[in-house]
Amino acid sequence: MSLAANRAAAVARPAEAADAATAPFTYVGIVTRAIAFAVDGALIQFVALVVAATFALILSVVSLGDDLKTVMAAVGGVAYVVWLVGYFVVFWTASGQTPGNRLLEIRVCRAADGAPPAPGAAVLRFAGLILAALPLFLGFLPILTDDRRRGVHDMLAGTVVVVVPPRPPPPRMR
Amino acid sequence: MRTRVEAVLRTGGSIGGAVISPVARRVNGAAVATLDALLDSRLAGDVVERVAASPLVTRALRGALEGPLVEALARDLVRYQVADRLLSEGLVEQTTQRMLEGAELERVVDAALASPTVERLIGSAIESRLLDETVARLLDSDDLWLLVEEIARSPAVTEAITRQSVGFADQVADGVRARSRSADAWVEQRARRVLRRRPAPPPDAGAP
Repeated sequence: MSLAANRAAAVARPAEAADAATAPFTYVGIVTRAIAFAVDGALIQFVALVVAATFALILSVVSLGDDLKTVMAAVGGVAYVVWLVGYFVVFWTASGQTPGNRLLEIRVCRAADGAPPAPGAAVLRFAGLILAALPLFLGFLPILTDDRRRGVHDMLAGTVVVVVPPRPPPPRMR
Repeated sequence: MRTRVEAVLRTGGSIGGAVISPVARRVNGAAVATLDALLDSRLAGDVVERVAASPLVTRALRGALEGPLVEALARDLVRYQVADRLLSEGLVEQTTQRMLEGAELERVVDAALASPTVERLIGSAIESRLLDETVARLLDSDDLWLLVEEIARSPAVTEAITRQSVGFADQVADGVRARSRSADAWVEQRARRVLRRRPAPPPDAGAP
């Protein structure tokens, strides 16, 4: 392929990406989302365990009073919550894809325009996730009946979960 | 008497030698010069060529080779250590060099490889105990395992293994994705049937 043709193809790629963003969505169902969430959960817990084990080792060597240990435990709990919320909010806001979503090739986006959700919407979605899970996960049942496969948290945040279309391979330089 | 005769003879021989020697020397010199001239002449070359091309020489050589000449030649070669003398002059090295540089070696090797005899020999060697013993010795040697280690550590091999692993991981991920999408549709279908809802629209029918 000539240099001019390669340049033309490189210019065409962003146009293709723009077309993909506004193309009809393929909504993702409950099983795929559950697997992606399980992967994220495993990752979150793994990191939390490693950090907690490290601190536990340090504390086992350093002799602290019981009050201080209680404070440390509380700080640890708060840190865990921050880590948990931050993980989802940051990934959803940045690209709409957590590592688990990336593995399953799905993403969270605004129902209106397909863009990643705003930080506020992402926090709201996370809160909705907790609410949906509380009553024995009943908040996720609408995913099975809604035409756009949305759960309660999606409806609250105005988001949908869609399949990421496969990327076309880059044109070969000759 | 005897002594006088001997003395006379000695005197006569001395006189004769003194007179005849210069003449004889001149005659000898002339004869040698004549011979040299003859050998350098074109006539001599023609004569030699004719003789060499004649059937007479061929018959003579054949007769010589059929006869005891060959055995006598072989004995003399050994007696006068001709082979040792040739080898000390570098004959083997020169011959080997010439063979390696020439096209004859390639022709010989090609002919050998194309020959069914060589094929049979190779087959016999493979089927014989020789190959088993060779393999057993190789397996016992440390050099073989050193070589295997080097190959295993080489960048090309590690890169190939990494590519295979990544490819395998991709395959597994693709499989998981495909199965999860099928499971999505199946679970949704069952749920809608239980809840008496209309069937779900195709998953890609939605628009933002």
